[in-house]
Amino acid sequence: MSQGVIENLIEQLSKLPGVGRKTAQRLAFFILNMKEEDASALAGAITDLKRKARSCRLCFNIADSDLCGICRDSLRDKKRICVVEEPSNILVVERSGGFNGLYHVLMGALSPIDGITPEMLKIKELVERVREGGIEEVVIATNPNTKGELTARHIKEALGPFDVSVTRIAYGLPLGGDIEFADEITMKKSLEGRRKIE
Amino acid sequence: MPGRTEGIVLKSRPFGEADLIVEYLTRDFGIRPAFAKSPRKIKSRFGGSLEPFTHARISLMGREDANLPRLTQSDIIRPFQTLREHSGGFVQACGLAALVMKLLPERETHGAPDAFELLLWGLDGLEREPGSSFVPVVFKLRVLALAGYAPSLSGCARCGRQSEAFNFSFYPRDGALLCGDCKKDAPAIKISAALKGLLGSLQAFPLEKLARIKPGEKLLSELKGFVETHFREGANITVKPARPL
Ligand SMILES: [Zn+2]
Ligand SMILES: [Zn+2]
Repeated sequence: MSQGVIENLIEQLSKLPGVGRKTAQRLAFFILNMKEEDASALAGAITDLKRKARSCRLCFNIADSDLCGICRDSLRDKKRICVVEEPSNILVVERSGGFNGLYHVLMGALSPIDGITPEMLKIKELVERVREGGIEEVVIATNPNTKGELTARHIKEALGPFDVSVTRIAYGLPLGGDIEFADEITMKKSLEGRRKIE
Repeated sequence: MPGRTEGIVLKSRPFGEADLIVEYLTRDFGIRPAFAKSPRKIKSRFGGSLEPFTHARISLMGREDANLPRLTQSDIIRPFQTLREHSGGFVQACGLAALVMKLLPERETHGAPDAFELLLWGLDGLEREPGSSFVPVVFKLRVLALAGYAPSLSGCARCGRQSEAFNFSFYPRDGALLCGDCKKDAPAIKISAALKGLLGSLQAFPLEKLARIKPGEKLLSELKGFVETHFREGANITVKPARPL
């Protein structure tokens, strides 16, 4: 029955984050009207992703082979590692164009109240990468919230014995924001992170 | 559900793409989860006000029976940022929050103001003195009492005798004291007169006066042992402790 196939796709699509029933319906009918090969390419990309995607052996980014594209890239600055919580964060840093080193994905952040402890994250593996040498800077780009901060402090301690500079991304007022609407915590962090105007 | 109150953030979890469900202990409505729209977006008007332990004036919108009222406003009263920046103190504070969530039923408005003040007291104590061993143990004793698990320490539970000379033992399974004459064959812990006195003060004193009580190290460790045993055996509660990092 034709109602069944479209209904099925709508149901599958509404499982995606941020996709409500209405959006799912719109997408389903859009796909229905797509060219056969485009629709197949979409379906194929999804199947491919699930079949081939795995974790990079070195940085835990999403990879399609042993090492991810960034770790394989000979043009990257191998002396710098940017630490993020999730693989999806790498895309955001990459799009910014502000970093040309390697990454390390922790696969989460410390959270005592949820029982997330250091052993459950890829912190050991990060320490191992630094221990092997050749790393000059570790940039910690965990989220600017309590869990991210706690994680950053923990990593800083874990890297204490090594001759490596540990830096934290700056945070504070969002670009385009207005001081009048800043809350006390954000304002305090902005003041702490102040720097000389060059 | 009725609008404005004060809340302390116990914990939060991501919901959907950029939303958050915040678990509050509120002054007027007890423990309440609230739905916050888009706080994880960088330009959110909630700013840092939904971070754990933030004490804020909040507005919750929704019908009385709504499962998940919507958070429409959150203005910080006390940020507890210094507490969050101390890893050890933060882990201890997580322990307090875990106790609150374990022991106090959600939506219980009866006694909510007391629970609220108690948590504020605990957070304040830990912010001033991270690593304190006094604050967590007193907090535990008082939150147990709020939950209806106060150990009964007024005298022998059988004959009613009060005098210290009868050498009391505490029977954790019963949550009560028996004197030397009434003692029975069951697991018990000896209670020193000093500890009995201390426990009496810790249970009766108003929060703002608790800081004046300064038990010595030996008495403090006796107190800790007592509270832990009562918690485990008497209240029969296990809480996964917040693990040190
Ligand atoms: Zn990689
Ligand atoms: Zn007796």
